[in-house]
Amino acid sequence: MDGFRVVRRQTPPGWVSFAVLPAALLIALVFCSLLLMIQDKSPVKAAVVLFQGGFGSLYALQDTMLKAIPIFLCSLGVSVAFRMKVWNIGAEGQFALGGVGATWAVLTFSGLPMPLMLCLMLLCAAVAGGLWGLIPGYLRLKFGLNEIISTLMLNYIGIEFMRYLVYGPWKDPGSMGFPMTGLFPEEAVFPEVLGYVHAGLLVCVVAAVAVYVFLQRTRLGFELCVSGENPRAARYARIPYGFLLMFVLALSGALAGMAGCVEVSATFNRLQPNLCTGYGYTAIVVAWLSRLRTPSIALFSVFVAGLLVGTDNLQVDMQVPAAFGGILEGFILLCVLAGQFFHSYTLVRMGRRQGGAA
Amino acid sequence: MMENRSHFPAEDGAKTAPALVRLENICKSYGPVQANRNICLEVHAGEILALLGENGAGKSTLMSILSGKSRQDSGTIFVDGIPAPFRSPHDALEAGIGMVYQHFMLVEAMTVTQNLLLGQAHGILNPKAMRERVLELAARYGFEIDPDAVISSLSMGERQRVEILKLLYRDCRVLILDEPTAVLTPPETKQLFSALRRMASDGKAIVFISHKMREVLDLATQISILRRGEIVDHFLRADVPGERELAERMVGRQMDAVVVQTPVAKGEVLLELDGATCGMAKDLRCRIRRGEVLAVVGVAGNGQRELVEMVTGAARPESGPDSVRILGRSWQEFVKQRPGRNGLVYIPEDRKGVATCPALDLLDNFLLTCRDEFQRFGFLDRRRAAAAAEGVMREYQVVADGLHASAGSLSGGNLQKMVLGREFYREPRLIVAENPTQGLDIGAMEEVWRRILAARSHAGVLLVTSDLREAVTLADTFAVMYRGRFIDVFSHTDTERLEAVGMMMAGIRFGEKEEERGRSGREA
Repeated sequence: MDGFRVVRRQTPPGWVSFAVLPAALLIALVFCSLLLMIQDKSPVKAAVVLFQGGFGSLYALQDTMLKAIPIFLCSLGVSVAFRMKVWNIGAEGQFALGGVGATWAVLTFSGLPMPLMLCLMLLCAAVAGGLWGLIPGYLRLKFGLNEIISTLMLNYIGIEFMRYLVYGPWKDPGSMGFPMTGLFPEEAVFPEVLGYVHAGLLVCVVAAVAVYVFLQRTRLGFELCVSGENPRAARYARIPYGFLLMFVLALSGALAGMAGCVEVSATFNRLQPNLCTGYGYTAIVVAWLSRLRTPSIALFSVFVAGLLVGTDNLQVDMQVPAAFGGILEGFILLCVLAGQFFHSYTLVRMGRRQGGAA
Repeated sequence: MMENRSHFPAEDGAKTAPALVRLENICKSYGPVQANRNICLEVHAGEILALLGENGAGKSTLMSILSGKSRQDSGTIFVDGIPAPFRSPHDALEAGIGMVYQHFMLVEAMTVTQNLLLGQAHGILNPKAMRERVLELAARYGFEIDPDAVISSLSMGERQRVEILKLLYRDCRVLILDEPTAVLTPPETKQLFSALRRMASDGKAIVFISHKMREVLDLATQISILRRGEIVDHFLRADVPGERELAERMVGRQMDAVVVQTPVAKGEVLLELDGATCGMAKDLRCRIRRGEVLAVVGVAGNGQRELVEMVTGAARPESGPDSVRILGRSWQEFVKQRPGRNGLVYIPEDRKGVATCPALDLLDNFLLTCRDEFQRFGFLDRRRAAAAAEGVMREYQVVADGLHASAGSLSGGNLQKMVLGREFYREPRLIVAENPTQGLDIGAMEEVWRRILAARSHAGVLLVTSDLREAVTLADTFAVMYRGRFIDVFSHTDTERLEAVGMMMAGIRFGEKEEERGRSGREA
């Protein structure tokens, strides 16, 4: 008879917020263990391999950091838009355009000293990604087109455009027919700063601080938060909603574009078709997991990147199918997201206790 | 406790049947605050019970317990003499008890019929039959309502009818209304009251919450007075000693004198409408000078919204560029400017939906419209803003848990005082206020009135109100709005016209008799 009832929390959760993440992980691992046991693989070993691969050694941590950098930048970008309740699903395409912008800078300007070259690449990437983000903003303002659809569709166009360039005009004649540009010169490659973690890390730190200050300290950032919180109040306060919409999509796109630049320069040293591996989509998940808070975005970027690296290891070490990695990853994220329900709600047991007590 | 009911011989027959609803020793606490203490009440079929009390007296808590929205700490609710533990509003509805909240719970983008369909979708829906039923119910209780109208196009009064229809459609036997007249104009109130009386005579029981003495005396057959969570008095309508005594028992002290306006010297013209047209509002003509309050009265939905949107710059006038002059500038020039000091401020009707962000704290809400005052090169100086906001809270006696309390946690009166303080902080020269005291208790209401009157020393006020008492208290000039036009504009000293305001609100011009109007209508 007695069930549970969902009740909105009146006070912020205390210990619960710390317990939710481990509990969610545990549930996800139990489920995945079942899947592994069906395949006659040891779940314990798998868990160890997963953890070791993502976080267990210095090498593993460095690998994780390398993946975390583009995820973090993209996620920071989408989180700014999400704050205004503008649903930018287009980080993937903006990321690709960022790669294109950076490559264009490399192909056009040569012989610049490294710091200047890198800054120029970042700038071009940010502009390219930002312009790509502006298109949906313009379409929504002029024609009322939903930005979820337009940003998503522009992903395909952006990625195909990037592929067109590497298959066509930008293909390196010396690549023996492979679709890729030539290797970037040394001054166009982000140097390593921490082990083999590259200077993209510094870009992340600067971007994070800038976004934080922007949101917390500036009038425009304040207007942005109000617009997300209550659009009618924003209109009442004569906040320029249309301008902010364009601005926020451009900023969002610029950050994703910078991620594309970092990736092209430091990871591939050239533009090639497999640049886009879904960081732009992962970034959306990370933004949700971290509930749009900048420090949490950093933590969850590392966490999710670690999962990606760990599952790669799992494939190699335990000969589980490639799809298993995806399933595991998806399930962990699903559990963590579901667990966040307990941040704002709680379950109350429907007791037999009725009014008559006292 | 209130068995004095048995003195009422006419209802002896009904007495043998158990009460529709009986509350026994209901207690409810929120933390250290005891909102309800040993409340006992009963409501019989055909009765209209008024719960009278100031804000915070515990009326809303009691009704939310009765409607299943919250649960009592102790005590029992009996329905037809049988204990009925409500776990949710759904349980209460099943038992035939429904509530119309002050803030309506309607889906704005859907039609009247669709809203009625919500929450009762069992199996196959029959919209056609529903529509018929809606029309039938509406006709029976004298509600004019178009079942296919979209909610967002309806006035507050019409929305309320939809809410009531929702309950009638579900065959509720006990209807609870929380401050039902707060959003209504006198004619709408009259209509509502006659509908409620008809429902009572159909054997339903009505419970309504109010702090307006006159309405309570007009409508109720029973009156219970709540003070600090307890029922301090219960009267049959016939036994009520008088309005003043009732008010004193409710407040628990001698009533303060009402706000009296003393005339202020008039200054330059601040707002000038000369044939202004915008959507439903047509050909409006009036002037507001410094030191003057112009009250626009009328039934909600007669073009007041368009008027306000036009004057505040949200909607573009369709008439010529000089038909709207604000603070000495044409409308076009006015909207180009960033709102700043000594300009126009707007106090909207919807405090929680428009004037504030309920989830943000008071400092952020203060910055909402004052942000330009505290910015330097695009950066906000929150420390300086906090000092200013604290000053405002002190000056306007806003009771809140500090500057970092969320706006949503404040009571209506405190929030309105905060909004008023924030808007007056910029020393405006023109104030547009829309039903500024709606839903406030007497104390807060008088405070708001006093503030508006005080602001006349440096500002002109456009007051859009559906509360005639408010208009009479504050206004120097009246403009009666009907179907988008000012059908009359006159001074508050013109007592003859003032008497006829109710008629004008129904579209009848001063000096025009109803029959004449009918004849000229036929000729045309």
